[in-house]
Amino acid sequence: MDWDTEYELVKSGRYVPEPGPSRSAAPQPIPDDDADADVFNDVPMAPATTTMVFDDEEPFGTPLEQLTRHWMNERHAPDILPAQEDLLTNLLDHLRRQSEAVQLLRGDPSTSEEEHIRIMLVQTEVERVKFIVRSYVRTRLFKIERYARFITTNAEIQTRLTAAERDHASRHAKITDQHFYLSVLQSLPEKQSHLDDTPLFVPPMITEPDISRPVFVHALTKCPRITLPEFVLLFSLHLQDSHSLTARCF
Amino acid sequence: MSEVRQYGELATQLVMESRRSTQTDTLIKYNDSLVRSIIREQRDLEKAIDALLVEGRAPPPGLLIIQTAINRNKRCLLAYHSHRVDRLRDMYWAVGGALPHILSNQDIRSKMSPHEVDYLRQYNSSVMEFRSEFSHELDITASITNPPKDLHVLVRVVKDCGVIQTELGSIDFQKGQRFMVRRADIEHLIVQGYLEEV
Repeated sequence: MDWDTEYELVKSGRYVPEPGPSRSAAPQPIPDDDADADVFNDVPMAPATTTMVFDDEEPFGTPLEQLTRHWMNERHAPDILPAQEDLLTNLLDHLRRQSEAVQLLRGDPSTSEEEHIRIMLVQTEVERVKFIVRSYVRTRLFKIERYARFITTNAEIQTRLTAAERDHASRHAKITDQHFYLSVLQSLPEKQSHLDDTPLFVPPMITEPDISRPVFVHALTKCPRITLPEFVLLFSLHLQDSHSLTARCF
Repeated sequence: MSEVRQYGELATQLVMESRRSTQTDTLIKYNDSLVRSIIREQRDLEKAIDALLVEGRAPPPGLLIIQTAINRNKRCLLAYHSHRVDRLRDMYWAVGGALPHILSNQDIRSKMSPHEVDYLRQYNSSVMEFRSEFSHELDITASITNPPKDLHVLVRVVKDCGVIQTELGSIDFQKGQRFMVRRADIEHLIVQGYLEEV
């Protein structure tokens, strides 16, 4: 069910939210006692009885679940992953609308005691979602600052950033270069005052994401065996996580 | 000069300072004199190269040594500055992007070079511009260490911080008092060390 329709229904009292409304059940109908232990469970689960193959493009779970997944992926990936602009915009819009509704209900003297408790739950949930959004945005920001110079020279990576992130990257590269120039380079002899030296046996001056760093993957669904470019896997992935992560990192 | 030094010895000292700074997790005072001496060494090395290069003759092998020393010194200088700037940015985020809070702290201020103060100002305006993208919904500079478990929080005032607008109206926070307030209203004061969670 869509958030807004759900919200309207709850408001009009025709629908009682199920426990944990922000966590949807898995796409397949599963027993009730399992409802919370779906995709977020890291412990090996009983082998899936049905084969579900999801397209990479197809979103999986509620928007919040999607964001949580992107957040986890982003935090563990050495490279910058594609920005989730639409998802984030929708979530932020939703947060804003919900906060406004909460303000309205709180100000209403006819709101009952029980509803106040519900409002508090909504507010707490809003704060928790904000935390994830914040952490997600900051994780990306950290990587963007770290690889700012690389980003300004690489067109491919720029396609994975939002416009605001691109701007921040170029601003950051500029102020860092400027700082180096003012503190060090301008006092050095002319021949040494460049930031793009490529002497032999010395690591390059532009920090690039280390995409050879190993990462852990957790298989969400069963999928066919895949071959990785470098034969480093000791186990066969018989369930497999998001393609983008493995393909780029191995 | 009686003192005999190897090429790159000063630069090693500089890098050692960065390492000490990481190990003790403190910002060490900007070592202006050492940076200057290394820059002087770089100029001397450049002159030595010019002297070695004689028109019409193959470059002597000694050139390679000097060139390597130059490259190394330069990288050490940049690494030192880059390390400090990273540290400063960490400090900036640790107080929730409150630049005046850092700059008004005399102890920290005295350890920074003037260029670093400028750098932080520019960095701050860049972050503020990025933050404005989200200003309607949330403040991205707020803490990301612990997910919020409660809407309200019991705090003790550690330092006077004057009258603050909160959900319950304006509160005058005075040292020693305790308040039950909405976390979102005073989060930044906890981060900056004015309030303390009880």
